[in-house]
Amino acid sequence: MKLIVAGPTGTIEHDGGTLHPEQRARIGSVMDGIRALELDDEVVYPPTPKAELGDLMRVHSGAYLAELEAFCAKGGGDIDPDTFARPDSWNAARRAAGAGLAAITALEDAGEGVAFVSARPPGHHAERDRAMGFCLLNNVAVAAASLTAKGQKVLIVDWDVHHGNGTQSIFWDDPDVLYVSTHQFPFFPGTGRADEIGGLTARGLTVNIPLPSGATGDVVRAAIDHVARPTIEGFSPDWVLVSCGFDAHLADPLGDLALSSGDFAELARMVNEFTPRPGRLALFLEGGYNQMALKLSVTDTLGALLDLPTHPAAPTYGGPGMKEIRLAVSDRHRALEALQSAPAGLEGGG
Amino acid sequence: MNTSPTVVVGYDGSVDSTAALLWATGLTRAIGGRLRIVHAVGLLEHAGLLADHVAVHRDTALEIAATAGGDPQWIQWSVVDGDPCSALLRMSMPPESADLLVVGSRGSDAHEGSLLGSTSLELAERSLIPVTIVPQARQAHGVSTPV
Repeated sequence: MKLIVAGPTGTIEHDGGTLHPEQRARIGSVMDGIRALELDDEVVYPPTPKAELGDLMRVHSGAYLAELEAFCAKGGGDIDPDTFARPDSWNAARRAAGAGLAAITALEDAGEGVAFVSARPPGHHAERDRAMGFCLLNNVAVAAASLTAKGQKVLIVDWDVHHGNGTQSIFWDDPDVLYVSTHQFPFFPGTGRADEIGGLTARGLTVNIPLPSGATGDVVRAAIDHVARPTIEGFSPDWVLVSCGFDAHLADPLGDLALSSGDFAELARMVNEFTPRPGRLALFLEGGYNQMALKLSVTDTLGALLDLPTHPAAPTYGGPGMKEIRLAVSDRHRALEALQSAPAGLEGGG
Repeated sequence: MNTSPTVVVGYDGSVDSTAALLWATGLTRAIGGRLRIVHAVGLLEHAGLLADHVAVHRDTALEIAATAGGDPQWIQWSVVDGDPCSALLRMSMPPESADLLVVGSRGSDAHEGSLLGSTSLELAERSLIPVTIVPQARQAHGVSTPV
């Protein structure tokens, strides 16, 4: 199977210094993880132009984009206690979003393989009109919207340790996008309860599975199997995009879940089952702030998808969370029933 | 059934949020309301990567409120995951509830003339309940309580 790597981007631009966890070295670790696969010339690196405004405006407001561009042009600064912008961050963010679009185009052209978007800043916290959680533009959302604009149905699986509030809110009412998230909860950004299920025009197409700190890989896999799989199979996506954060790793300094790099390999195999045919799976780098864990996780994840004879770390078992999965099923069921009986305009969440 | 109005005030340790806290404490004293001080915790603070610790903010905020004559029985400290704007909005909507949101005019990360990072401007646009934005200048001119 062919590996398409869209990037690297963000190796020089958008520099927040080495004390900020969302730092340029992350892309170096990702690329080290890819090189460890020893694929050499078999990796395809498509050109990654900056995303055009028209692409971005499918998911972000024009006012927000103008504000972000102007903010960077004036020198940038701290947008909130977590999120920074530099003079070159507007271009860096457009390059990251463009890398996602390039990955989709390369897969369409190849008709086979799997794509990895090696780009920063990450995106899944960025909402239609606001930056937050290290994210400026929502890269996976920009790519998904480019596909729905062509009549395609898109599944987004988000296994980052944090809930992708931005992606959820952007597609809250979109019947062509199914958003599935496993995440630590309660935790930043505070969203992602199981009873957040999508709006009236996309009821049930948001699937949140909040998990307690300490949850292991078997719990995350069970969460997707028991809570999300029926909805995914009913949705029947044309494309599968993964918000591929590696901060659910046991060694990550920002999260409290307990996955190994081998767990991401298992998750990747599972998610790959949801693709309708080869060449319809793209993974977008989100979080992941321990450089060694990031490198190993990239290698194990892509090695599993490419069916390479790598030796991934052992999957983890026995952590808490099975009770929360059962609760998520019942909370989701109750929310669906309530939404079905709600008059238009009274839905909550998002 | 408790009918005392609830005032939610954002506090992040900045001078502006201190002004907001003083003003909100004075208001709740005047109307016999409850005061909920909300501190939003982001990614870096959760990971212990910011200089100030949550406990420091809590102690400082409660001391400020006490100094302004707030009754500890009517004051609640809440730590909420998320960015400041989202956290304050969530604390004003069901299952939580509030009658008024109070914030400082700029906060610790806002930038003059920019919507980006301006919690107060975002709240004014998105909140479903009234929002009071307390300018720091009011404190500088000695006006620390509502009139």
